[in-house]
Amino acid sequence: MLNYILKRIWSAIVVIFIVSFITYFVLMFIPGDAASLILGTEASAEQIAQLRAVMGLDRPWIVQYADWLRGLIHLDFGESYLYGTDVLTLIIQRLPVTFSVAFISMLIASVISIVLGVLSAIYKDRPIDYFSRSIMQIGSAIPSFWIGMLFIVFFGLKLKWFPISDYVPLSNGLFPYLRNLVMPCTVLAIGEVGMLIRSVRTSMIDTLNQDYMEMAKVKGLKSSTIYFKYALRNAMIAPINVFGMQFAKLMGGTVVVESVFSLPGLGRLLLVAVEQRDIVLLQGIVMFITAVVVFTSLVVDIAVMLLNPKIRAKAGGER
Amino acid sequence: MLKKVLAVLMSAMFVVGAAGCSSSKKEATGDSAQETSAEEKDTLRIAYTADPEGLDPQRTAAIATLEVTSNIFDTLITCDTDWNIIPDLAHDWDLAEDGMSITFYLNEGVLFHNGREMTAADVKYSFERLKGEESPKASMYKNIVGIDVIDDYTIKFTTENLDVDLLQSFAYPWTAIIPEECSDDLKTNPVGTGAYKYVEWVPQQSIKLTRNDDYFGEKANIQNVEFTLIPDYTSQLSALMVGDIDITEVTADQIDVLNNTDGVKGYSEPQNSIEILALNQENEYLSNVKVRQAIAMAIDKDEIIDTVVWGNGTKIGSHLPVCSPYYVDTTDVMPYDVEAAKELLAEAGYPDGFTISLKLPKPYQTHVDAGQIIADQLSKIGITCEIEIIEWATWMSDVYTDKKYDMTVVAHSGRLEPYNFLSRYKSTSGDYISLLSGDVDALLDEARQEKDEAKRKELYADIQRVLAEEVPCVYLQSLSKFYGLNEKVEGFSIYPIDMLNLKAVSFS
Amino acid sequence: MKTKNKGLRKKRMSVSLAIGIVFVSIVVLVCLASFIYMPHDPLEMATQYKFLKPGVNPDYVLGTDNFGRDILSRIMKGSRTVLLVGVVSTGFGAAVGTLLGAAAGMSKGIVSDIIMRFIDGFLSFPGILLAMMLVTVVGRGEKGAIIAIAIFIVPVFARLVYSMILDIESMLFVKAAKSYGISKKRLFIKHYMPMMATRLITQFSSSIAQAIMIETSLSFLGLGIQAPNASWGLMLNESRKYFISYPYLAVAPGIAIVITVLGFNLLGDGLNDLLESRKGGRKNG
Repeated sequence: MLNYILKRIWSAIVVIFIVSFITYFVLMFIPGDAASLILGTEASAEQIAQLRAVMGLDRPWIVQYADWLRGLIHLDFGESYLYGTDVLTLIIQRLPVTFSVAFISMLIASVISIVLGVLSAIYKDRPIDYFSRSIMQIGSAIPSFWIGMLFIVFFGLKLKWFPISDYVPLSNGLFPYLRNLVMPCTVLAIGEVGMLIRSVRTSMIDTLNQDYMEMAKVKGLKSSTIYFKYALRNAMIAPINVFGMQFAKLMGGTVVVESVFSLPGLGRLLLVAVEQRDIVLLQGIVMFITAVVVFTSLVVDIAVMLLNPKIRAKAGGER
Repeated sequence: MLKKVLAVLMSAMFVVGAAGCSSSKKEATGDSAQETSAEEKDTLRIAYTADPEGLDPQRTAAIATLEVTSNIFDTLITCDTDWNIIPDLAHDWDLAEDGMSITFYLNEGVLFHNGREMTAADVKYSFERLKGEESPKASMYKNIVGIDVIDDYTIKFTTENLDVDLLQSFAYPWTAIIPEECSDDLKTNPVGTGAYKYVEWVPQQSIKLTRNDDYFGEKANIQNVEFTLIPDYTSQLSALMVGDIDITEVTADQIDVLNNTDGVKGYSEPQNSIEILALNQENEYLSNVKVRQAIAMAIDKDEIIDTVVWGNGTKIGSHLPVCSPYYVDTTDVMPYDVEAAKELLAEAGYPDGFTISLKLPKPYQTHVDAGQIIADQLSKIGITCEIEIIEWATWMSDVYTDKKYDMTVVAHSGRLEPYNFLSRYKSTSGDYISLLSGDVDALLDEARQEKDEAKRKELYADIQRVLAEEVPCVYLQSLSKFYGLNEKVEGFSIYPIDMLNLKAVSFS
Repeated sequence: MKTKNKGLRKKRMSVSLAIGIVFVSIVVLVCLASFIYMPHDPLEMATQYKFLKPGVNPDYVLGTDNFGRDILSRIMKGSRTVLLVGVVSTGFGAAVGTLLGAAAGMSKGIVSDIIMRFIDGFLSFPGILLAMMLVTVVGRGEKGAIIAIAIFIVPVFARLVYSMILDIESMLFVKAAKSYGISKKRLFIKHYMPMMATRLITQFSSSIAQAIMIETSLSFLGLGIQAPNASWGLMLNESRKYFISYPYLAVAPGIAIVITVLGFNLLGDGLNDLLESRKGGRKNG
């Protein structure tokens, strides 16, 4: 078991380095650099070359990469040329926004999908099942940017229920904070609900079809006890994986919603870093997001393993 | 079935959303109602779409930076909305008889935001920094060879060659006067003498300024300024309409809409900016002047102006904006005439046309839209455009620096002197649109040295005519700027150089 | 009770399958029709007719956009892009992903490790960044979009095939077959593929839906199909500037996207249910 976890941590670190290497490598093929952007439409070629040298952009990419790695080992993520600020500070500053959006939208999506998923498994082929299956299908077919635009104009402009463009940190009070996040989080949740309902429903149906469920029924246990005490607990093991991974993906995947709702999150910072060729900043964010995804998947796997005796046995066997 | 489900879904969302806020709304509205009534009067909120490249006015060419820093820093002189040079930190100046030097007399008792008095030594330091190797504007000031502090409030600049536009070059926002002791972290902590003091910059979120009560001139009307980053256009417009922000840039079609909407108004003014279709003279087709002329005559500029900016632009025939004092009308040199264009193309040896690439810079929707119409118009004389929409960073490196392009649409702006607008056409400039035939080289040199205003105007008129005939670019339109304002905003105007003058803005 | 349930189940399966088939057929028919007839040239600008609302001019049923281009024609032309990009990119992605997954699943040890680490790397990469970098390197437009989306799809299939092969390899008959000395290639083609076919087919259909969603998102962000070509995502992107005054611009392409994605998703689900129940039926019978 411990062996397995260590192995997974090792491979997680390998993945992160592969990603950092790929990022740096690919960036060298992308036209444009910071020097020409800073100098703008007035500069001569000679001036650009000079600034490149000052900024160290004229060195071979592998040297720049090695330099960056050396800094990383000392936990120095480097400085963003765009903001003149330490990259780690920038990331930490933006993190609460993206985390809030990802967390709250997963919360909304989880509640809806667990309720609907379980109900539709229990009342399979009844109206409630059709209803949640329709939501599941439509939710995953609506583009988030489209529904985002509709929300802004309808709920923000016409009804004036929610603010259009503001992020209020939690420290300013819970209600203003939530009020500002309702629209973006709902939009994201719509996109997530489909996949989540599906996984809950499938898993619940599987569980309900297990022999021991029949046994419980035969034994005459109350159906609510059966569903909630036994079935749900077992049925939630498989979806945990899906929930965890979707959450991790949202940490870097909220860029469209962040743009539409003017949220100053990591996704937007990433976009700006690419547009402005701020390689150090970009690299820092990519590292961070990759690390979150990789380690979430690690934690989720371990959690599932601890919960599920079957997989636990398998992992033991593999070893 | 689908509709029903959609309706159910929407109403479910509705309930969730409403429930989510109804409890919160009471408290929040109590709060924000108070906030708005108290704050409405003393905070000006401006939307912006992209973060500035740091807040150091001497280390960037980004307009986003200069629009903010022009309120934090001052320059020796500045200009008004009608292109006149007016005093700022310097109350007076003397241009030497021979035009080779200029002396500025500074205001006394001007304080930096850190409390220290600004003197001629700071002016000298600022210009030396501006000429430094990290400065993007260094080459523009390399003609200045001597900076002499005469006393604390007098400073003299000496040039190497005669430049009749010397005075104007001291008005640009990058000639900001900065205190030496703060120069290292101006990017994140700008300290100047301006009417507003820097408070806070949260990347990707907002920039906050507050009134400088020790300002040497007439103090700002509004206590606080908050720039709010709103990247999405629909959100910007919505935020303006619900009153979250007071000033935002809009598209031309919104001007009438805004004027007919309660609480907001539209603002549109011609800008010191021109839109061009640049033609690479090193391309095998475009090296032929007849081909370039054919393209110029095949383009219906009126259609572009009507469609892209809803008629809020003026067509031009050469490389100066209509509002420039040196502008001459050259639109009749290459009039819109499809038949003549076809003939020219046939004379050039391409009766069936050809295929050519057209690169458009993605962040500038006006140029992207204009480019699409141009492609449609050129298809009528047999020229097929392969449109490629590229990022600004790619445009800067591929088109501007490396000249790897056939045609592109872009704008040039923000210069007071015609020489700075036009000097890129010198055959030796190495610029992406330099006129390789060299037909304007001598004229440009002459104009820069001509002290007689009337003769200079004549020279610049000649240059504009040559450009109109040689067609290194097709000159499309003199652009305007469009803003949506809260109806309470007064005194907002745009300037020929890249600055925002917020101290003049007030709430009615 | 049981039989009744079963009957109902069958009926429901055919409902989602039926809706899926109907939606997909609509899109395919619109696409085919676009080769025969479109009311206008989707690229032709008639600037004097810009911003016609739907129904105002019978010549322009769905109205016109900011350049006076016919929206119906652009929707029709866009259906070609959507189907082309969706099907081709999923095809490439599925083929490469299946091969990689099979290679990783059947060869234990270092090869398997390397392949799966790279797959993990791609999976954990911020999707939008991957797309931006790919598109900048490969170039924008249909080709760029297809390659970028295919790379999105590869890990999905690689993971799926990898885990299915691990499952299959643990079965008794495989161990028996291996002990007979059947070659890996033969084992994969003759035995594994048929066992995986059902899942792969249904995954293929859902992946087309996913690919279409990615294409519209990329185009919406300006990274996919390039103007002046017609793509639904791009049409939404272009409508963004005029959305408050002319909301109808965003309606047609939005609905087109929803119908198409919904169609392929339902088709995938319906096929899954159908094939699974058949398989189950055969096993029982």
